[in-house]
Amino acid sequence: MPHASMMRSAMHRHPVTIIAILGLCLLATGCGQTPPAYFRPNMVEATKQRLTPDQEKQVATVLLAMFGTPDEPVCMPETGLDEAKLRLAAGPVRSDIVGRKNGLYREHCAHCHGVTGDALGPTAAFLNPYPRDYRPGVFKFKSTERADKPTHTDLVRLLHNGVPGTSMPSFALLPSAQVEALAEYVKYLSIRGETELTLMRAFFELDDEAQGKLPETREFLVDETLTPIAEKWKAAADAQIQVPPMPADIDLVASIAKGKELFYGDKANCVKCHGVTGLGDGQANDYDDWNKAIVEIGKEISSGSAKARETSTSGMSPDELSEHRAQLAWIEKFGRVLDGDALEPRTIPPRNLRHGIYRGGRRPLDLYYRIHAGINGAPMPAAKGTVPPEEIWHIVNYIRSLPYELDGELGADKPMLAKDRF
Amino acid sequence: MRTCSRNSLLGVVGLGIVAAAGCKAERVATPSADAQAAGKLRVTLVSASTGGGAVAAASTGSGWGTLKGRFAFVGDPGTAKPLLADKDTEVCSKAGMKLLDRSLLVDPSSKGLANVVVFARKTTRVKEPLPENPTGASLVFDQKQCEFLSPVFAARVGQPIDVKNSDPIGHNTNVSGSDFNQLIPAGGSTTYVPKAETGMPTMVTCNVHPWMKAYMVFRKDGYVAVTAADGSFTIPDLPAGEPLEFQVWHERSTGPNGALGLDNADLKWTPKGRFQITLEPDQVKDIGTLEVPASAIGT
Amino acid sequence: MNRLSGIFWSLLFLAVPVLGVATFAIAPAIDVWLPKDVSEHGPAIDGLFYFILALTGVVFIATEVLLFWFLWKYDAANGDRPATYIHGSHTLEVVWTIIPAATLLFLAIYQMNTWADVKMRRPAMAPSVEVVARQFEWRLRYPGRDGTLGTPDDLFLVNDLHVPVDEDFLVQLKSMDVLHSFFLPNLRIKQDAVPGMKIRVWFKATETGQFDIVCAELCGWGHYKMKGRVTVESREDFDQWLESQYARQNATQPEADPSTAVARTE
Repeated sequence: MPHASMMRSAMHRHPVTIIAILGLCLLATGCGQTPPAYFRPNMVEATKQRLTPDQEKQVATVLLAMFGTPDEPVCMPETGLDEAKLRLAAGPVRSDIVGRKNGLYREHCAHCHGVTGDALGPTAAFLNPYPRDYRPGVFKFKSTERADKPTHTDLVRLLHNGVPGTSMPSFALLPSAQVEALAEYVKYLSIRGETELTLMRAFFELDDEAQGKLPETREFLVDETLTPIAEKWKAAADAQIQVPPMPADIDLVASIAKGKELFYGDKANCVKCHGVTGLGDGQANDYDDWNKAIVEIGKEISSGSAKARETSTSGMSPDELSEHRAQLAWIEKFGRVLDGDALEPRTIPPRNLRHGIYRGGRRPLDLYYRIHAGINGAPMPAAKGTVPPEEIWHIVNYIRSLPYELDGELGADKPMLAKDRF
Repeated sequence: MRTCSRNSLLGVVGLGIVAAAGCKAERVATPSADAQAAGKLRVTLVSASTGGGAVAAASTGSGWGTLKGRFAFVGDPGTAKPLLADKDTEVCSKAGMKLLDRSLLVDPSSKGLANVVVFARKTTRVKEPLPENPTGASLVFDQKQCEFLSPVFAARVGQPIDVKNSDPIGHNTNVSGSDFNQLIPAGGSTTYVPKAETGMPTMVTCNVHPWMKAYMVFRKDGYVAVTAADGSFTIPDLPAGEPLEFQVWHERSTGPNGALGLDNADLKWTPKGRFQITLEPDQVKDIGTLEVPASAIGT
Repeated sequence: MNRLSGIFWSLLFLAVPVLGVATFAIAPAIDVWLPKDVSEHGPAIDGLFYFILALTGVVFIATEVLLFWFLWKYDAANGDRPATYIHGSHTLEVVWTIIPAATLLFLAIYQMNTWADVKMRRPAMAPSVEVVARQFEWRLRYPGRDGTLGTPDDLFLVNDLHVPVDEDFLVQLKSMDVLHSFFLPNLRIKQDAVPGMKIRVWFKATETGQFDIVCAELCGWGHYKMKGRVTVESREDFDQWLESQYARQNATQPEADPSTAVARTE
C-alpha cells in the first residue's frame, strides 16, 4: 500500500513539524475553563438612546449593584422577591450541600430565553415563534387586565402546561419547589430588564447639569425607578379579571349560533384578522411589540443611511462634518447591534382557530381572558367595554366548536369536519 | 525537497483553517460594569433612605404668560407617498381615493410645518382652573375612512378622551405603551383616560388596518401644543417668572427619540430638541418663525 | 522477558470474559439491570432476553477460555514447534456454520409468538389515548366521556399519562414533526413514532406506580429531556383523575385557592 508507507516515511522524516502542527491545532481550540456567565446589556436600547460608552458602563454598574450577576443574584427587598428561590434557580447547574439541584434556570431555560432573559439564547434563532424576551416586562398569557403583570399563579400554570403550539415545553414533571423557583427567577429577570430599559431611557430626560450621568442616589434608583416596576408585579394578584360566570343552564347550540354571528359581525371584528375561514388568514403583515421595535429601528436605519449617503459632504462646516460622521458611525453601530443582538423580525399571524391549539390555555376561562383583555404585546385587541360578558361567552363557545364545525356544503351525505376541508 | 515543502504548505493551510474556525464575527464591544463602584453603590442603596432628596424648586414668580411661535420648513418636502391600504377597500379606498402618508405636512403657501409638538418639561405651578382641553381642540379622537383624523393628538393626564369610530367598519385603537388596545365597533365610541405622562409622543395604530398611524402625547400639567396646518402654536397660561424648558418633537425628526434640534442660539436650543425661555407676567412672547431645515427631517 | 510478556497478554485477554461475567453477575445486586417490569407481556420478553443471554453467554465463555488457552499454551517463548499450515478444514467450516444458523433459526421461531402478542394481536377496542410525539414532549388526548377521539369532549394533557391497572390499554401513536420513539421501559414497550403514520401500541399494566416515558429516537437538541410520566392506578382512581382533569379543562372560573391551580402529583 504505497499511501501508508508514504505517510509513515513522512512522519519519520518530519516528526517535529507534524507534532508542532498537531499541538498548535490543539491549542487553537482554546484551553482553560468556560468564562463565567454574564448579563448581556440591552444593546438595542442603548444604541437607540445613543448612549456613550461611559453611560453604558454606568448602567451596567448600577445593575450590578442592584441585581448582581447570573451566578450571584442580589435580591433587593423592594422587589418583593424570595431570595431563597432565586438562589435555587441562579448559577451553574450543581447540587447544594443538602443535595438539592441548583442552577435550574440555566439548565431548563437559558438556552432559549438567554441567561439575561433576552430571548437571545443559542437556540432562540431557530424557533418559531421566538422565545419570550422578559426585559420589556410584557407577558401575553395571563389572567390580569391587558397592561398588568401576570400573577404568580399565571407563571406557574404556564410552566406547568407549557405553551402548546410553540417550543415552550411543559414542566409538569418538575417538583413544585423547582417550578416556584423558576417562576421567581423569571420575575427577577423581568424586573431587571425593565429597570435597565428605564435607566437607559432616563438619560434622555436628564437636564444638561447632570452632564450625561444618572444620579446614583437611593431616591432615583430605588424609589423612582425600581419600586414602581416592582409594585406592578406585586399588584398583579389584585388586577385579575373578574369573570362573570357562564350560566349553568346555557343552551350551547344557541350560544354557538350567537357566537358565530358576533364572530362575523362588526362589533367584535374577529374575521378581519382571523379570516372568514377562521384559519387566521385575515391579514399577514402586523408585528408583535418585540418584533415591531426591531422593524421600526430597521426602517430608521435604512432611511437614515440612505439619506446620509445622499448628503454630500462638500461645503460642510467642521461642526456639521463631525455631526455627519457621528451620525454615520451611529448607523453603522446600530446595524452591527441588530446583527448580533437582535433576532430577525417576523410578522405575527393571527391564530388559526380551526386547529384547536390554544397557546394561552384551552379552558373556556382562558379564552375569555384572551377576548376580554386582548393579548398584551400582540395586536389582539381588548373586547372589554365593547362586547358585554355574556356575548364574550357566546364567542368562546363558538371558538371551542370551530375545530369540530361540520361543513355540510361539500357533499350533503357526508358532512366533513371544516378543518379537514381546508 | 518537494515533498517537504508540500507537506509544510498543507500544514500551514490546515492550521489557518483551524484558527479561523475559532474566530467569531465580532460583536459590538460592551463595556463591563465596574465591580468596585457597584459594591459601594450597593451599600448606599441598601441603607435606609437618608432623606433630603432633590428639593422641589421653589416657585420664583407669579402671573402667567403665553408662548407663541411658528415652525416653517425650509426646502422641498417632496410628495407624500400613498399608503398601502389593502383591506376593506370599499371603505378605505372609497371611490379610488388614496390614503397618503401624513408624516411631513407642509403648507404649500406659508411653508408652515404642521404636527410639531411643543411641551413644557417641568413647571412648578399650573393655572387653575385647568382648561377643558389644553390644545383648544376638542377631546375627540376620531377615525374615518380608515384614517385617524388627528395625526398628532395631545391631552392632559386624567382627561377623558372620546375615542370614536365614524366608519361603517370596525377598528381597534392601540395606544402603544399604555393599557389601551380596544375594539371600537362601527359608529361606536369608547372613553379613554390616560393615566400617565408619555414623555415623548407615543404611537397609536389600528391592528385591523396596520397602515393607520397617529401619535398621542399626554402631559400632567397640560402645557402642550401641536402646530396647526400653518405651523403656528400657542401655549397660554404658562407660569411666568421662572425658567421654562420646552421639548420639541416631530415624527420624522432625525434627532434622538424624534426630538427636533434646531440651530438657534438665542433660545439656547440643544441637540436634544429643547429650548429655554422665561416669561414676564401677562407677556405674550412670540419666538417668531423657526426654520426647520430639510436635514433635520429624515425620510 | 518474552515469556513474561506472553503471560501478561494471555491473562489480559482472560480478564475480558472474567470481568464480563462478573459484571453480569453483580449487576442485579447494584440495580444496573432490567427495569422493574409491570406489564403482562413483560415476563415473556424478559424470558427471551434471558434465554439469549444464557445461550450467548455459554458460547462467549467457551470461546474466550479457548482463546486464553491458545494464547497461554502456544506462546512463542514456550514452544519451539513451528505452526502447521493447513488448507482449511471443510468439516469444521460446515459445523460452525450450521450450528449458529440452526440456533438463529430456532430463536427466530421461538420468539414469534411473543412478537405477535406485542405487535400484531391488537385487542379489539377503541383507542384509550392518542399520544402525539412532538419536539420535545408527549401530547396526550383522551377520548373523553363519549369514548370517541376527535370530538369536542376530548381531554388534552401533556406528558402525564394515566393508565388503569389490569386493563388492556390501547395507544394510538402519532408524531407531529420528526421521528420519535415511545419508550416505556417498565412496560417493555418501545415503538417509533413515524410522521404520517398512525401506529397502535397496546399493553396491560399489572402493578400500580409511577414510571417513565422516554424518547428513544434522536429527535433534536431536546431529545435527552423528552420525558413523560406514566401513572398506573386503580380504575376508581383513574376515573376520579379523569373527572378532575375534565373539571380543570372546562373551568369557567379561576380556582378559589391559587395553590390548587396546577395538579401536581409528586
